[in-house]
Amino acid sequence: MPIILKCFATLSRFTPPEAETYALSPGDTVQSVVARLGIPPEDLKLVFVNGVHSPLETPLADGDRVGLFPAVGGG
Amino acid sequence: MAPNTGTNSALLDERILSCVQRTRLNDGTQLPVLPFYFVQDLARGLNRGKNAKPDQPRGRAVAMVERAALALGVCPERYLRNYDAYSLAEQLRLLEGDLALVGLGGLGGNVLELLARAGVGRICAADGDEFVPSNLNRQLYATRRSLGGYKAAAAAARVKLVNPAVSFEPVASFLGEADMARFLEGAHLCLDALGGLKDRAALLRAAGAAGIALVTAAVAGQSGFVATVLPGATGPADLFGAGAAAEDTLGTPAPAVATAAALMAGEALNILTGRGAKLAGKMLVFDLNQMSFETMRL
Repeated sequence: MPIILKCFATLSRFTPPEAETYALSPGDTVQSVVARLGIPPEDLKLVFVNGVHSPLETPLADGDRVGLFPAVGGG
Repeated sequence: MAPNTGTNSALLDERILSCVQRTRLNDGTQLPVLPFYFVQDLARGLNRGKNAKPDQPRGRAVAMVERAALALGVCPERYLRNYDAYSLAEQLRLLEGDLALVGLGGLGGNVLELLARAGVGRICAADGDEFVPSNLNRQLYATRRSLGGYKAAAAAARVKLVNPAVSFEPVASFLGEADMARFLEGAHLCLDALGGLKDRAALLRAAGAAGIALVTAAVAGQSGFVATVLPGATGPADLFGAGAAAEDTLGTPAPAVATAAALMAGEALNILTGRGAKLAGKMLVFDLNQMSFETMRL
């Protein structure tokens, strides 16, 4: 079972076509997936794995939900 | 001989009770209601005497009448449609609430409108900005007429028009970190409705130092979030830094801004009624492109 990826705001342009069923490679972490998507590390400010704020090193497993956030400050 | 305060308040209670009308609710129960125009009349009555202007019910007198009615278990008519959402005891707590709002742009104007209608007793709001044409897409108080004027002045005029029971104190200047501490004095809650990231971390620190909760929100394009940060906890502003942010390229369209403001107002009322923050340590994230809402743990 693959992971579900959601890229918010300016990161949405890095959303792969198969974001709802994104296939993991062995040993994948948030960081390796982010690198594969081509997201510049400095643009990624906040990572949620299964609804919890998580570090980049978090290993991913099938069925995980990953949310990626840039800095957002508009009002 | 001037009657003492106790006698005055007993007299006001007596007058309120003589004006009560009973409204039948859908479930068959009867709710005692103080009709809107009686609130005005009773407030004018309070203003008679020394230094009074009988034809201009001052906000303070209106608030006094509404609080006295609620304490007697009588619902002022203007809050009737809130009856099931907020009990009379909670409505009274709102009228005794004291809130600091920083930012009167897209988020701030919309959130202020909702909190003024809810009857939050005292609101201090700061924004040194003036309206410019690019505010017209989303900022509630930006109109062709208000362009060029202070946002704080437009907000003050609007609150007076909507609900005079709200004691509104506008500050038409930008707050530095030192000003923030003074600005938050006495407030039960702080709302971060700032635009951009520059001052958000400082406001988070100031609210923490004042020992009060901060409800914060931000928007970029069709995405946004709302979060509540309790003193000492990590907030979104700690994670985002003070550099460029997504709204610089995606902008701030009205539906996302108004959504974030409405969620902010709902959470502020949770806190001011004493129900407690529902987003403490959490971040409610939405995306109107997908129509998705999700609450994350920070």
